Amino acid sequence: MKKVVALVLAAIMLLSLASALAEKETLTLWSIATEADANYQTYIDALKDLNAANEKYEIVMEATENEAYKTKIKAAMSAGEGLPDIFFTWSMSFLGDFVEAGRVYCLDDVLPAYKAELTDAMLANTNYDGKQYGIPLVFNVVTLFANMDLLKKAGWETAPATYDELMKCCDDLLAAGIIPFGVAGKENWCLSEYTEPLLVKTIGAKGLENCYTGVDSWNQEGVIRAMTIFTDMIQKGYFDPNASALGNEETKQNFLAGKYAFYQNGSWNCGEVAAAGENFVALPFPVIDPEKASLYEMVGGPNDSLAVTASSKNAADAAVIAMELGRAISKGGNLNGAGMPGWAVNYDTSSVNRVSNSVAEMVAQSSGMVLFGDNFLSADAANTYLDYIANLFAGNITATEFAEGLAADLQ
Amino acid sequence: MRKTLTYRINIFLFLLPALFLFVSVLIAPIAMSTYYSFFNWNGLKTPEFIGIKNYVELFTSKSISFIPALKNSLLLAFLSVFIQLPFSLWLALKLSKRIRGERAFISIYFMPVLISTVVIGQLWLKIYNPDYGVLNVALRAIGLESWTRPWLGDKQVALGAAFVPTLWQYVGYHMLLMYAGVKSVPPELLEAGVLDGCTEGQLNRHIIIPYIKPILRVSVIFAVTGSLKSFDLIYVLTNGGPVHATEVPSTLMLNLLFLRNRYGMGSTIAVMLILLCFAFALLINLAFKEEKPV
Repeated sequence: MKKVVALVLAAIMLLSLASALAEKETLTLWSIATEADANYQTYIDALKDLNAANEKYEIVMEATENEAYKTKIKAAMSAGEGLPDIFFTWSMSFLGDFVEAGRVYCLDDVLPAYKAELTDAMLANTNYDGKQYGIPLVFNVVTLFANMDLLKKAGWETAPATYDELMKCCDDLLAAGIIPFGVAGKENWCLSEYTEPLLVKTIGAKGLENCYTGVDSWNQEGVIRAMTIFTDMIQKGYFDPNASALGNEETKQNFLAGKYAFYQNGSWNCGEVAAAGENFVALPFPVIDPEKASLYEMVGGPNDSLAVTASSKNAADAAVIAMELGRAISKGGNLNGAGMPGWAVNYDTSSVNRVSNSVAEMVAQSSGMVLFGDNFLSADAANTYLDYIANLFAGNITATEFAEGLAADLQ
Repeated sequence: MRKTLTYRINIFLFLLPALFLFVSVLIAPIAMSTYYSFFNWNGLKTPEFIGIKNYVELFTSKSISFIPALKNSLLLAFLSVFIQLPFSLWLALKLSKRIRGERAFISIYFMPVLISTVVIGQLWLKIYNPDYGVLNVALRAIGLESWTRPWLGDKQVALGAAFVPTLWQYVGYHMLLMYAGVKSVPPELLEAGVLDGCTEGQLNRHIIIPYIKPILRVSVIFAVTGSLKSFDLIYVLTNGGPVHATEVPSTLMLNLLFLRNRYGMGSTIAVMLILLCFAFALLINLAFKEEKPV
């Protein structure tokens, strides 16, 4: 009897040893795809498919909320320890700092196998000194969403097409007791989703890019004009009076619940906006100065990316997996209305929602695009820039002081 | 002689683990922060030595706004000492008079200390919500609509609104410290006071409060240094906003370290906080120092 028990125990031990040997290695992925994120389901589905197909690795995702994620990844990169194998990142200066510090794995070896599905424009924002470090996911633009039911209540059967019409529409909305715009004043980047389109439609996408790069001064007539319009909009009560106490999620939910007529934010919201009802549409922000800007000049571009840490012990394999994951998220994000595809579209897109499609049409006609300011600028400069916008919104500074201050502090 | 030496070596050996922990957990981080405060460093590149430039910039730069943040912390410390602590003392004195449900009241007042600060922050975020928050709803219900406002978004009142839960949370903590002190007052002292015809107020003023002075000193030190280091509740409620109206040095430090990638400047704020906490602790100790009888 004892022999039988011993044999059974030995067999169990051998079996568990064999299963342990067959167990997949873990690759960690850090992302911002928490349950509240527009891309949450896309990540879950993509990882499920990848894990089922990959016999060697199990990709485990750790998701952290957007703002907390910035702290987490920067602290880990600074320490150079406890880093994941694959991580979500924003393009330009955000990833650039990590690349410069040698923390990011160069993707040039794996890129050729996927190059046919990626355009240079999509890769450009994560290419540093001719080397590729980032994988594009989806790309987004700032979009003006409108609730046509509320516009109709204010006597507008069609959406305002010009700047003057938009201002008149806001006055009519106020007269009808409807708040024209919802904005999350608690999150400075949400304020820039209003100021940057105003700037682009006044000085053009190239003009704004020149301000970021220091080619042109911030202290110019167009910047002052655009920001004066912004402060006038605040003074006229076009924004929710409680905006300064609201976060973006609350503001978006208020808009979807019919509290505001307009909500200007990233196109990653298209899926949610489309699902809220047929009365919700996407519009281009009208032109302010037709001599310098055109209707489809936009704020946005390829920004959301994946990258691989140089310290990953399976960096080469992780790079291939990150590429596959990037393609899957691009597709899923596109189909779910959480952004436009960063990769070539070779699948059925008939299920893409109408709001995403209308934004895609605007992008197709785009004559110029400039990336979000807080991604374009370095971390320190970006926060100074956002601080100026917050001060403008709070009424602490005038449009002229905004232009002069940025010219002095950023240039 | 040899015996004394062996004895000293033994003491040293026994103290060594504690010394190692003290140095590695407390002294080393302070030393590292001090070291980095003399560098321009983004946390990733090679640090560049800049001497005391960070300290100069800290006190002169308008964009960093350290002085307003420090003023906010000092205001919180003032409110803690002159509102929170007197209220805690009043509660401790009342509860120690063997009132009915004494233990239940102590538990109730102490409960906020046990609850996670994030939970308390979320709770007060709901109370202050401009649309459905209890505060605005109550004001509307009693006809004071004009008083309603986005409490945490209005730069005129945000600081006060953020301080209310901060002060409220630790009332129970100080109350418990003082309650334990009041309970330790020898009954014969109180009886002597009663026999001499002291009223309740006189007993409190002339016997209990002087007797618990060491505890009051500890409470004041905790309140002041806690205010200078305050972070979690402010971070959850306002994150220093709107436009830095509720900024305190700790939130500013986080902003500089992880949003602006200015690790050198963040370390400078850390060093300043340590120095300020030490300085205030010393000053409070001096203020409470008693003349020793000759």
